[in-house]
Amino acid sequence: MRPSNEHIKVFMCVSVMVVFLCIGLPAKAADKENCLLCHKYRFLGRIDENGKRLNYNVSEHIYRKSVHRVVPCRDCHTNITKLPHDPVTEEVNCANVCHVKPPFSDENFSHEKIIKIYQESAHAIKPGDSPELQKAKPYCKFCHLNPLYTRVDEKRIAFEETLLRCLNCHQEKGVTQAYMHMTHRLRHKTSRSPQEIVQLCAKCHQDTALMKKLGVSQEGQEAVETYLRSIHGKSVILGSQKAADCITCHASSALHDIYKKDNKKASIYKDNILQTCKECHERTNRWLVQIGVHPKAHDEGHPVIHFTSVFFTFAMYGTVFSLLGLLLLETRSRKKDGIKFLLRHGTSWRGKLKRRVKK
Amino acid sequence: MSNSSEVIPVPMEESLVEDDYFTYVEGVGNIPRDIYKHVQSDPKGDLPRYSVHIVIQHLLVLLTFLVLVVTGVPLLFAKLFWAHTVINLLGGADTARILHRIAAFTMMFACGYHVVTIIFGTIRQLISGRFDYKRTMIPRLKDLLDIIQDIRYFLGLAPYRPKMEKFMYKQKLHYYAIIWGNCVLMIAGLALLYPDTMARVFPETLAKLLPEVVSKGISFPAFFQEFARLMHADEAVMALIVVAFWHWSNVHFVPGRFPLQWAFLTGKITREHQIEEHFLEYLNNLREIPEERGYMKALLKEKGIETIPKVSVSELPRIY
Repeated sequence: MRPSNEHIKVFMCVSVMVVFLCIGLPAKAADKENCLLCHKYRFLGRIDENGKRLNYNVSEHIYRKSVHRVVPCRDCHTNITKLPHDPVTEEVNCANVCHVKPPFSDENFSHEKIIKIYQESAHAIKPGDSPELQKAKPYCKFCHLNPLYTRVDEKRIAFEETLLRCLNCHQEKGVTQAYMHMTHRLRHKTSRSPQEIVQLCAKCHQDTALMKKLGVSQEGQEAVETYLRSIHGKSVILGSQKAADCITCHASSALHDIYKKDNKKASIYKDNILQTCKECHERTNRWLVQIGVHPKAHDEGHPVIHFTSVFFTFAMYGTVFSLLGLLLLETRSRKKDGIKFLLRHGTSWRGKLKRRVKK
Repeated sequence: MSNSSEVIPVPMEESLVEDDYFTYVEGVGNIPRDIYKHVQSDPKGDLPRYSVHIVIQHLLVLLTFLVLVVTGVPLLFAKLFWAHTVINLLGGADTARILHRIAAFTMMFACGYHVVTIIFGTIRQLISGRFDYKRTMIPRLKDLLDIIQDIRYFLGLAPYRPKMEKFMYKQKLHYYAIIWGNCVLMIAGLALLYPDTMARVFPETLAKLLPEVVSKGISFPAFFQEFARLMHADEAVMALIVVAFWHWSNVHFVPGRFPLQWAFLTGKITREHQIEEHFLEYLNNLREIPEERGYMKALLKEKGIETIPKVSVSELPRIY
C-alpha cells in the first residue's frame, strides 16, 4: 500500500510535535541586570591588599543548574546600586527577601524562617562568645555552597522526610498537595548524602586542637573519632545511605536546630533522645538510649571490656601459633615418613622413609 | 591362658617389643599399625564417614561463612583502602548488610539442623543399641594423651601415631571451637542487629538480679553493646584465621590431602587416612563392612603377614 496524502500529513504533524517536545525550553534568564556582561570573563578579578588573588568570574552554566538559578543577582547582592559598581564590602545576607515567589504563595521568598532557627542553635554567635569562638562559628555560606545544590538523581528518598524538609521554607498549604501529587515522582534530591554531611561536620569538629581552644568538652573533641568507630560511622564510611549521620540525631527535620545536649530543645537532650532514636529504631526503649552512639576506644572503657580485648588478642595469637606449629610439625614429620602431596595410583605413601623412628 | 593352642597375636619382626604394633582382628589377621602406607585408596573416599545431613550442613556453613566474611570484614576495617572496593563489589553497604543478615540466619538454621540431626541420630542409635560414646565428639582423657603421643611421634620419640577414634583431637578441638564461636557470634550479632530488644532483655534481667548495681548508674546497655561489638569482631577474625590457616591447610593442603579432600562432598574418607588417623574407627569399619574385611585379608596375604603366629606356652609370661 502506497502512503496517501493523509498518512503523510499525520506523520508530519507527529514529527513536528516530537521535535517540539524534544527541544527543552531554555532556563529562565536570571541575569536580568546583565551582570554577566563583565562577570562572564574567566579571569575577571584582582589582587587584593594582602596579595590574595580574587576571581569574580561567574560560570553561567554552573549557576544555571544551581538552586538559585532563578534568583536575580541583585536580590542577594543588594548593596549594588549602580554600574560599574563600587567595591563589595558587605557579605550576602541570606535573610533577604528575593523577588521570587515560591509556588502557592503570594509573598516573596526568604530564608528567614531557617535563619531564625539557626540563630537559636549552638552554632549561632551569642553575645558572650569570645572573638575566637565568633570567628570559628559557621554562618550560612560556610556550609552552603551554591554549586553543591546541583540536582542529583536519587532513587530512594524517604517521602515524609523530604516533604518535612520542603516545609522548612515553603508554606504547607499547596506545596504539600503538589508534592503528594507529582513532585515526589520526579525523585530529585537536593540534600547532601550522609557521607557529605559527616565530611562537612568533620571539617571543624575533627580539628581537635581548634575544638580544645574553643573550650569544647572532652566528649565533643573526640566526637568525630568516636562516631567513625560506631556502627553508624562505619556504615557511612562504606557508603551506606541509610545509616545515621550527624544531623540524623543532632537535628530535627528543620536541620539547623542543633543544640548542646544540656539544652532542653536539643534532640539529644535526655528527655528527647527516646523520640530521636525512635525515628530509626522503632522499638526504642529506655535501655537502648543508654547505648553509646559515640563509643570510646576499647581500653578506655570498662575494665571487663579491656580484659576481654586482651584475652582475645592472646587467645587469637596463642591458638593460631600453636595450631600452625602443630600443623608444620605434623607435615614435616609425615613428609619424612615418605608421604607425597598428591594421592596417585591409589596411595600417597610413595616416598622413602627418611628418618629412624625410635624403637 | 593355659590352653596352648589358643591363637595369640604376636608380631614376627624385630619390632616384637612393641606389643601394640599388631592389632588382631577376628577373621582378618594381624594388622600392622603402619599398614596405611601399603593400602590402595580412592581419592574420592572408600569408607563412610559423614551422613548426607552432615554434608549438607557443612556446605551451608561453608557458603554462609564465606559470605559473612566478605560482607563483614570490610565493615570491621572500614577505614582501610580495600574495604570500600569490596563493599562496592557486593552492591554497596546497604546491600552487603542485608546479605550478611541472610547469611547469618542461614548459618543459624544450619546450626539448628545440626543439633536436630545429632539429637535424633543419637536417639536412633540408642534405640538400636549401636550407640558408642567413643565414636562421638564427646571429649575424653584419651584425646589429651593422643595429642601428647602424636607430638612425641612427630618429634621421633614414639614409634607410632596413636590409635584414634572416628573423631581425633583435631576434630574435637575444631568442633568445640565452632560451638563456642557460633554461640558468641550469634548472641553478639543479635545484640548488634536488635539493639532495642537485646537492650531490653539483658539489662532488665540484670536490673532484677542486681538492683543496687543499676541504681548506681552503671550504664549496662552501653557496656553490653560495646562488649558485643568487641566479641563479634574479635571472634569473627579469630574464626577466619583459624579456618583459613589451620582448617583449610589440614583438610586440603597437607601431604596426602592435596589438592582436595573429597570427604566434604562425598561424605567418605580414604582408606589410608582412616587407618592413619582413625585406626580404631577402621576396626569398626572392618567389623561392619564385609568387603573391607576381605580387602584387608587379601592385602595381608599379599604382604605375607596373614598367618597368625602360634606362641608356645613357655613364652606366654613374656608377652603378657
